[in-house]
Order: sequence, then structure tokens, then C-alpha cells
Amino acid sequence: MVLLTALEVRDLEAVHGSFRLGPIRLDAGGGEATVVLGPSGAGKTTLLRAIAGFLPLRSGTIRLDGRAIERLPPERRGLGFVPPDLGLFPHLRVRANVRYPLDLQGHPDRARRAATWLERFGLGRLEARYPAELSSGERQRVAMARALAAEPRVLLWDEPLAALDVESRDELLRLLRTVLEAERIPLLLVTHDPAVAFGLASRLVVLEGGRARFDGPPEGLAAGRLDRFAARFLGYENLYSLAELEAAHDAGLAPRLLAAAGSEGIVVPADAVRWTGATDGGPRAEVAAVRWTAGGWVVAFRDGSLTVRSGPSRDPPGVRVGDRVALRVEPEGWKPLGDAR
Amino acid sequence: MLDGAPTVLRRTLGGLLSASLVGLFVLPLVALFLYAGAGGLWEAARNVGFRISIEFTLLSSGIAVGLGLLTGVPLGYALARYRFPGRSIVSSIVLLPVAIPHLVVGLALLLLFAPSAPLGRLALSLGLPIFDSIGGVVLVMLYVGASYVVLTSELAFRSVSDGTVEAARSLGATPSEAFLTVSLPSAARGILTGALLMWARGVSEVGGFLILAYAIVPGAGWNGPPTTTASVYIFNLYGTVGLPGTTSAAALLVLVALAIFLGVRLLDRSGFAWARGRWFS
Repeated sequence: MVLLTALEVRDLEAVHGSFRLGPIRLDAGGGEATVVLGPSGAGKTTLLRAIAGFLPLRSGTIRLDGRAIERLPPERRGLGFVPPDLGLFPHLRVRANVRYPLDLQGHPDRARRAATWLERFGLGRLEARYPAELSSGERQRVAMARALAAEPRVLLWDEPLAALDVESRDELLRLLRTVLEAERIPLLLVTHDPAVAFGLASRLVVLEGGRARFDGPPEGLAAGRLDRFAARFLGYENLYSLAELEAAHDAGLAPRLLAAAGSEGIVVPADAVRWTGATDGGPRAEVAAVRWTAGGWVVAFRDGSLTVRSGPSRDPPGVRVGDRVALRVEPEGWKPLGDAR
Repeated sequence: MLDGAPTVLRRTLGGLLSASLVGLFVLPLVALFLYAGAGGLWEAARNVGFRISIEFTLLSSGIAVGLGLLTGVPLGYALARYRFPGRSIVSSIVLLPVAIPHLVVGLALLLLFAPSAPLGRLALSLGLPIFDSIGGVVLVMLYVGASYVVLTSELAFRSVSDGTVEAARSLGATPSEAFLTVSLPSAARGILTGALLMWARGVSEVGGFLILAYAIVPGAGWNGPPTTTASVYIFNLYGTVGLPGTTSAAALLVLVALAIFLGVRLLDRSGFAWARGRWFS
């Protein structure tokens, strides 16, 4: 299926204080979710505010359905924008918040349409409340309903679902995805949270220092050339630089890892780490920590100057802090970082 | 210092210190009302001259608060929202009237607005006499009280997040629509508090009136007989008949002020349900 591109950003450059963003190229279309992922200070919010019209462009173009909008004021761009604090109006009840864009438009059927959006986001019983009387998740749903009630051509969302627990976040992600697909409204979302990004993105842009480091389908981030930056976002635990490996070259796993490392080092996925009793062959390591996490038991080993973490396991690890074990990593498990050396 | 002390002791000490200040606020008023008595209050209420001065004070303070809102709210908004050259200087100037003795305010305004002074002549030619007229009273009230409107407005507009305004804009609101439908209502409670403070400050003023607008002659918005502000009326009474004859009028003025204050507080509680827990709930 060919999805029409609604939003086309080309060579966008913007300056915010001493920070310089761009040039950025970006597309959002169909019922797709384009997610811009990056650490704090990468320029995510600057990018979204520039597209929404709250920050002047230094250069570049923004087209919506082929029409240049970069010189239009925010209210005439046809873009929905949800800021990080959601921007709910504290003096208006939930019902009036959702009705706000319809009132501005003088929509003839505003009451019924607002009621439809309220119901769609499960806000019917909360419509008489003020935003201060809502939970974080309920506030997120009001922000979604209100933004969509304006019938934007593209929805822009800055750091959504930030203050939510995992269960509420996943539930809202499902709800948002369902509604956006049904309405065929493209989403352009910025986040620092890989869980949100990978849970929603049909297209991923990874931003660092104001520039795009990756642009493509999310699975492409793991399939292509892996560097330290991308590895961190993919959630890899055991990242070792060449310097770290060289410093520990004569102990444990280090010699084999150094031999296999790329120009930026190597990553050992936690689920590729195995251990057996100390009497077995292989490099010796000491159990440094054993802790329970939401995903299961995690063991950290001290292997010379390297710390190696195992993947979470539901089974008790059977080792205690201070135990000596034989540590093993399957060669097919590790991934060189950067270019081949 | 008191970290090791029992909770009961800390709370008792805190309670006593707080209660002593609350007592200081209330006790003089209780003494005033007890001294005046119900008969005295009734007598003051029947005094036509004093009733007229109260009516005049309410009218002039209403006009002053209106002008204070008209000019103070935009200034408070500008100070809260924009960075412009001289912003910190303007912020300091806004605080000036709070720091200047009010007799000095009267003198300074007299230099500008006396009938022979340039601005005074200009005002007269426009049909707006200042000296010994309602215009002078309004001017003094504006000078000594508008700072409260500016300061509380600035604070209130600062509490409206950029995100709220940006959300309104992206939902289709022009800048003025976003101001009128989001920023202003969100800040209304703070602005109302500032208006109340300004009104109270204007009604309690004496020094500036003694210099610029001591005896009010009719005209330019005041169609009643010659009068003074209620505070100057009480000041004069104290100088002529002493304490016994003054307390009744003073108690009545306090009663009127309290009634208005409580009325605004009731509006505040019923009209700003969304802001419960914020500002002065």
C-alpha cells in the first residue's frame, strides 16, 4: 500500500539560543507514526516547535499536503500540537477543553462532536471535572481527544506518556494507535524513551546534537551498522569501548572481545551471557551483584576490570555475591560497534 | 534547633507564634467595635456627611481599580511573557510606589498636577481637574495601589505555562483569542486578588489625599456635595472631636470594607472552583 505523505520537512534549520538544529529531512503520512528519538538536548523539542510554528526557521521548507506552511502562524498550519505539559486549560472542565477547538471553528455540531471524542477516549464520566482533578493517564487522554477534535492533518506530540506507569502507557499507546489508524491521521512524536518509540514507530528518526543519526524503519536500527549511540537506544547493557578492552586485555573475556571489536568497541547482549560452575573451563569471574528486577533475576559479574550483566531470568540464578563462576559468551551473540578494524 | 523536641512542643510553639500575629490583626478591630458599640455605628450611619464621603470613596476607588486593571494587567502580562530591553528597570519602577512615603507621593503629584503646573493645566483644559477633585483622588489611589495589580498579574500570568498557550494556538486560536480565552481566565484569580489589594490600599490612603485632594469639590464625575474621602473624614474628625466621636465612623468604614472584602472572597471561592488549592484558597 502506498501511503501519501502529508508532512514533508526539507533541510529544516532552526536556532534556539546557542543550539543549532538541522538540516533535518522528515516525512509523516498515512496512518503512520514517525517517532523522533533522542537523548535530552538532542533538539527534539526544538524540531517539533519549529514545525508547529513556535520557533522561526533559519532555512528549509515545511509542506503539508504539498502546500508550503513554514510562513504561516501556528493556528493556520493545520497541525495539532501537544506540548510536554499537555497544555490543558485549567479553568475549563474536560468537556469544554475538548470542545475548545470546535468552539473556535464555530462548528455547527460542536456539542455532539465533542461528546463523540470524549466517549472515544473513555472520558464520558469525567467530562464535568477540571484537569486538576484528573490522574496523569486521564489528562493524557483529554489532551489526545482535544487535539484530535480539532481535526488536524498531522498530530505533533512532544514527550507523551512521560509520567505514566508501564501498564497505563501501553494501554494509551494502543488506544492512540487505534484512533490514529482509524482516522488516518499521521503522528509525529518526539521522545527520549525507546519503549515509547519502538512501541509506536512505523518510521524512526534518531536525533543527536541537532542532526539525524538514523532515519528508517525501527527494525533497521538493529539491522544496520551499529554504533555506541544506537546501541544505547536499543537497550544493550554491556557496551565496551576499545580503550576499556585494551585496559583489561589480559583478563577473562577481554582478549576475545578485543579481537572481535569494531572501531567503537563491542556490545555483548545480556541474553548472550552464560555461566557455569567455577570448576568448568573458561575465564573466571566473580559475582558482583544479584538483584530482582521487573523482568526477572539479573546477575552482574566482575571480569577483571569489566562488568558483565546477564539478561533477566525468571529462574533463580543459583549464585550469590562473591561466588566464582566460569563466564561464557557465545561468539554469535556479540556485536561489533562501528566499522570493522 | 527544635529537631529533637517532641512534636507536641513544636506544634504548640508554632501555634502560639502564629496565633499572636493573628491576634494582633484582630484585637484592635475588636477594641474599635466594642468602643464604638452598636449605638455608635448606627449614629455614624445616620451621619449624612460621612455617608456621602463613603459613597465618594467607593466611587473613586472603583474608578481607580478599573484604571489599575486596564493598565496594570497588560503591564503584568508583558513582564511575565516578554524579554525586552529595560525589563528589569520597569520591574523596579513598578515597586517604587510601595517604597515611597505617601505624603511624598501627594507632594510629587502636586508638583505635576497643581492647577498652575503644566500637566494640571492640560488636565483642566481637557475637563479633568485633578487638584481637590475626584480626579486627584483617583490619581493618588492609582499611584499607591496599581503596583499590586501589576505584581499579582505578573505572577498569575507566569503560572500559565507556555504549553497551555501554544496548545491553544495550535487548536486554532489567534494570539488575541489565546489571550482572552486561556491566559486571562487562567490568571483571573490572581488578578482579582491584586484588584482587591489595590482597592484596600486606596481606601486606606490618607497622606496623598491631604496634599492633592483634601476637600473635594463637585465636578468631573462627582455630582454630590463637597466632601472628602472617608479616610480624610475620619482624620479630620479625630483632629476636631477626638477619639470618642471618631471611633464610630472608623468602625463603620471598617464594616463597609469588610463587607466588600468578604463579598469578593465569596465570588473568589464560588467563581474559581477550578483553582481550588491554588493562590489563596
